Amino acid sequence: MGKILIVDDTLFMRTLLKNILFSGGHTIAGEAGDGEEAVAKYKELKPDLVTMDVVMPKMNGIEALKGIKALDPAARVVMCTAVGQEQMVKLAIKSGAKGYIVKPFQAPKVLEEVKNVLAS
Amino acid sequence: MKEVPAKVEYNKQWVVIKLGIGEDRLVLPAPVNKEILFKTVLDVAERKNVLIITAKTDTEAVYKILSVEKVLAILKKMILASCNAYRLMAYFMSPAIKGGVMVKEAQWEKGSVVVVNSGIWFVSPIKQVCVPVTDVASIELTKREVQGKPTEVVKIDHLENGEVVSSLVLCPLSTLQVLYNFLKETTKGMDMKGTELDGVDQQVAMLIYSGMDSHAIENMLNIPHKQLDAIYDKILKLGLAEVVIIRREVQLTTKGVRYISDATKSQTN
Repeated sequence: MGKILIVDDTLFMRTLLKNILFSGGHTIAGEAGDGEEAVAKYKELKPDLVTMDVVMPKMNGIEALKGIKALDPAARVVMCTAVGQEQMVKLAIKSGAKGYIVKPFQAPKVLEEVKNVLAS
Repeated sequence: MKEVPAKVEYNKQWVVIKLGIGEDRLVLPAPVNKEILFKTVLDVAERKNVLIITAKTDTEAVYKILSVEKVLAILKKMILASCNAYRLMAYFMSPAIKGGVMVKEAQWEKGSVVVVNSGIWFVSPIKQVCVPVTDVASIELTKREVQGKPTEVVKIDHLENGEVVSSLVLCPLSTLQVLYNFLKETTKGMDMKGTELDGVDQQVAMLIYSGMDSHAIENMLNIPHKQLDAIYDKILKLGLAEVVIIRREVQLTTKGVRYISDATKSQTN
């Protein structure tokens, strides 16, 4: 079980992920609504894992991922992409993402992916 | 002709036979006494370890064959290679995404896509995957990065044991367009305008998709039970969901209250 930072610009997706992760026994370290806030919260909260939306205002998920990786090269970040944005996955992996999920997602699969990444 | 052990449904009973497999036909010996030429097969479907074959010579007949996985794999491969169906050589990836999570070991496989009346088959030398048309949630002509280049593919979202799975098909663009149109036509009964649900309805549908129960949905969207029920009714009426469980809310009677009071007393004494 891990301490997780949820990054998404929509409250709905953050709430959904929070519920899914909480039901899987994880602790929610915090939430961020954009990339800049994500990097700041990572520095402050030192979570075990980050779920990171790709398309966000101010700083997008890929830039935020790079920012987090610069702070902590061992950071575990799972990218959340919408259908049709899967081409971003390659870029995210190159930038150090450990996993990726495609919206809309199903709870058991999200928990499985998070478990795998936490174990890595 | 090779013979393999199998069971075939005959007069609503399973009978054990030595199923004959020839180059172009199946031979079902007594008591069935039928030969099925592969080219007369109109449909092939699979339910667990039963192969359901629809063939038409003079009249249309359905044959159900039960056997071990290895035998069924040979049958599927042979029938799907020669049956009466829309068939194209393609690369496919199935499953590519499961429940929103990309399948890491997924690879493009060279084989064929066979479209029969009841479903789509992905067939390679080592794999035969069937997606029943009734399980197809959406079909999309989209782009994926293949060998570093954005490439047109057909993405088929389908249900597999209640889980949403995406499969991808890659072939020359003109063929892909034909396949896309064909699949769209086959599944057009499921098309919707997209305006049937409003914002909250869509959020409820998304939460159902994600596996949330009624209680979690009410809490997450901060909506009362009656509103959620009304949205459920709407979603059910549109055929977008089905009832899986009916839960009850109860309140204690005087007897119940007394029981709990007594139980609490005995715990505190």
